[in-house]
Amino acid sequence: MADMDADTAAHTEPSVEEEEPFFSNLDLLLFSLIVGLVVYWYMSRKKPEPIPEFKKLDTAAPAARETSFIEKMKKTGKNIIVFYGSQTGTGEEFANRLSKDAQRYGMKGMAADPEEYEMAELARLSQIENSLAIFCMATYGEGDPTDNAQDFYDWLQEIDDEDLSGLNYTVFALGNKTYEHYNAMGKYVDKRLEELGAKRIFDLGLGDDDGNLEEDFVSWREQFWPSVCEHFGVEASGDDSSIRQYELKEHTDLNMNKVYSGEMGRLKSFEVQKPPYDSKNPFLAPVTVNRKLNKAGDRHLMHVELDITGSKIRYDSGDHVAVFPTNDSAMVNKLGQILGVDLDVVISLNNLDEESNKKHPFPCPTTYRTALTHYLDISQPPPHQRPLRAGPGKALYHSWVQGACRNILAILEDMPSLRPPVDHLCELLPRLQARYYSIASSSKVHPDRISICAVVVEYETPTGRTNKGVATNWLKNKLVTDNGHKSTVPMFIRKSQFRLPFKTTNPVIMIGPGTGIAPFMGFIQERGWLKEQGKEVGETVLYFGCRYKNEDYIYQEELEEAEKKGVLTQLNIAFSRDQEQKVYVQHLLKNSKEHLWKLIHSDNAHIYVCGDAKNMAKDVQTALQDIAEELGGMTRTQATDYVKKLMTKGRYSQDVWT
Amino acid sequence: MTTKTKAEPKSSGVTNGGARIVVDGDDEVLSPTDLSEMLAEGTKDSHDKAENCQFVKDFLRGRIKRELFKRGTAALYFVYAAMEEEIEKNEDHPHIAPIYFPAELHRREALAQDLEYFYGEDWESQISLSAGTKPYVDRIHEVGQRDPVLLVAHSYTRYMGDLSGGQILKKVAQRALKLPSTGEGLNFYQFEGIHSQKGFKQLYRSRMNELELDAETKERIVGESNRAFSFNMMVFTELEEIGKTIKEEVQDAGLGHSHAEIMEGGDINKCPYYAAKMVASGNPTYACQLAMTLLTHPPCQWALAAWVALLAGFTAWYIL
Repeated sequence: MADMDADTAAHTEPSVEEEEPFFSNLDLLLFSLIVGLVVYWYMSRKKPEPIPEFKKLDTAAPAARETSFIEKMKKTGKNIIVFYGSQTGTGEEFANRLSKDAQRYGMKGMAADPEEYEMAELARLSQIENSLAIFCMATYGEGDPTDNAQDFYDWLQEIDDEDLSGLNYTVFALGNKTYEHYNAMGKYVDKRLEELGAKRIFDLGLGDDDGNLEEDFVSWREQFWPSVCEHFGVEASGDDSSIRQYELKEHTDLNMNKVYSGEMGRLKSFEVQKPPYDSKNPFLAPVTVNRKLNKAGDRHLMHVELDITGSKIRYDSGDHVAVFPTNDSAMVNKLGQILGVDLDVVISLNNLDEESNKKHPFPCPTTYRTALTHYLDISQPPPHQRPLRAGPGKALYHSWVQGACRNILAILEDMPSLRPPVDHLCELLPRLQARYYSIASSSKVHPDRISICAVVVEYETPTGRTNKGVATNWLKNKLVTDNGHKSTVPMFIRKSQFRLPFKTTNPVIMIGPGTGIAPFMGFIQERGWLKEQGKEVGETVLYFGCRYKNEDYIYQEELEEAEKKGVLTQLNIAFSRDQEQKVYVQHLLKNSKEHLWKLIHSDNAHIYVCGDAKNMAKDVQTALQDIAEELGGMTRTQATDYVKKLMTKGRYSQDVWT
Repeated sequence: MTTKTKAEPKSSGVTNGGARIVVDGDDEVLSPTDLSEMLAEGTKDSHDKAENCQFVKDFLRGRIKRELFKRGTAALYFVYAAMEEEIEKNEDHPHIAPIYFPAELHRREALAQDLEYFYGEDWESQISLSAGTKPYVDRIHEVGQRDPVLLVAHSYTRYMGDLSGGQILKKVAQRALKLPSTGEGLNFYQFEGIHSQKGFKQLYRSRMNELELDAETKERIVGESNRAFSFNMMVFTELEEIGKTIKEEVQDAGLGHSHAEIMEGGDINKCPYYAAKMVASGNPTYACQLAMTLLTHPPCQWALAAWVALLAGFTAWYIL
């Protein structure tokens, strides 16, 4: 039928170019005429029952695009439909992910645009066994539905006598807390479907784009699937090992010049280095200093200096340096041994989804050895690959893998029956990420050098193994010269907003216990340099903390020297374990509260906090709120707002980590 | 386990999405005369107006034509080229140096890349300064030369806005115009030098507040910022007007896309499928609209031809 063809052509013919109209108007006329005649001939041939025939044709065009999702689900054996109300595509993406998830639980899902389907069919969804409608609904503007959900919304509002009692549903809402009508659309759909008699089988999920939408979604989803399984009495199929995203290709005759050997972006970028340097093109910086900072104790705190001469890299005090570590070669070899594979085989993993932008999980072609050394994280407990059902599996994963800190090697060692193909393992392991460190030097004093201050991570696991932090141990072993060669570190700079005030006379209050002192070493150098330039420099106050004065008081000489020169106007140190009662930086803040309050409230001081986010940064914030409350004569709420305002206005900056 | 990876600073619980949204009744407690406060307060109305003008609303709803988007990008190019030229000239000026962040903020290069993507290599010869953008550009040059402190206002108005809403606009444009997810054509919205937009806005506010300015100058900056908003409105209005005259180019958004995508990309009346359905149900207005809208839309000519043919056929069959 001409109309169907024409209609399809309108939508699936992307090659139609705009500059030349497909038909001139004359052609169009002729075409119309011919088709008209054909239709006439056809119709007049079949005289009887003209009316139904007309109707049939009338509906032919819509039928070309299936508006019945029930029919479509029946035809394709789906039992879960995920509708999305989406403006920017996130809702649609979530819907797609949910529909793919279904497969892992022995169900079949499809994502659907409510605008394309006859939503009144929801009342008939129960015709399909174990059926479920999921709604990923974004809220737009002043609590409005997205454009593509507008009709659905109107329909919901109008139908008062519709009975949706056979319908199983759940809603995940996407919105932003800073707006007044937070997730209004999702909430409405959730409530309205219930009113119409539908059965909510899982609680409404609320995603907040101002916080972390992705996290909200993932944690909702993790709870959601198990309860769906429970509801339908379905066992998670468990065997999703066969679902592969990438296809293995082994190369036998490839020139080694075409094989990645650890580069992040451009092939051979480590041999021929070209600025500008960034995450795809890191600079190989020689290590010029690598010394242990602490005098005693069982930890290893280190100071590492990288030479960036000639790299054209510029940085400011407070910026971060990113380094790309590599895995321990002994671990990589052991993995190869256990899996019984030749690590030097050259391979590519190619995405089966050819539409995807991500062609490979890591730069390919490469060898297994390079992938396991440079590109994949083999030392952290691997994350679970799919939302786990509550129950023995999940509990076991948590205790046996995460609780026992088993990394992939430990898992394979302790579970001899588990021998996955190495290429599948390479697909599943997470990427080895760049590590970020606050730069512990000032570019004003050391334009060609970047200092790092870090503590080597090493701990005993419940299975009696020693887990080593990849990056810190790798850094520790970067000796200045190794077999006559200079050790190098692939690095780049990430700009931060942790900056000294522009006006040198503004006071600064720096709070950084442990390795949190790193950026402040840069700040102190810079303030000292400014002083040497004859600039008037405001008060510079440091709150530092460590365990024992004689063990881990790092940078002691530098700090005392700075104090002597008057660069540091106050050096407050909390030696937490040198006395019975533990003393931390937040306690010292309280001790000097009057002076602090004056600096903050009257003298426009900038406050900087660096270090542990979970405890220290929180306690410091509370201490400052207490001070504002007490000395500023504020209520608790006012004091909290006061500190928040300091943050908004960039006078209270944090560089913290967990 | 404590690996020393740095997350972006977590300022617990400060809801933020642009100065406007932060509700705060205790301004008197912490320096209400700070420039950042005065600007947020003093440009509220302009901000609301700009946000609610038809062009911006349409854009946010994904109703943006490719041609308009291209022209908008070109207009922005002239604005940023002027602004950054003046900022560069005044980089050592005591009122500009504290807010001089070329690596983080400057957009001229990004816009040039976007224009090259849209117009091809000879993009420079294809774009021109529009009448609606010229007063904006002229004003920027004027203040840059005569009263550089007012560049603070222009810088604030544009960059802080870009940092606040840019990511949403990027996604909308990407989807509506079917731009590649790798970011071509949208470099303007991608601030490569800024890791945390929220953190950077805080730094920028602190730097504005460090400027040594008397009350009168601060007021002048607020006034200039309102002016900058008006200039932006002029640009939007011009684009909106142009948009009305280039209906035929809506096809760009529709080519080869699914029904839903066309719907998301534009007005329901421009959707061939919808219009055809209306014609079939005998709505004469839609029939006209259909003819008007679709005559120049090549793929729609198929559809149109088919429908005309069908109708002709039916009519013939009915009458004869």
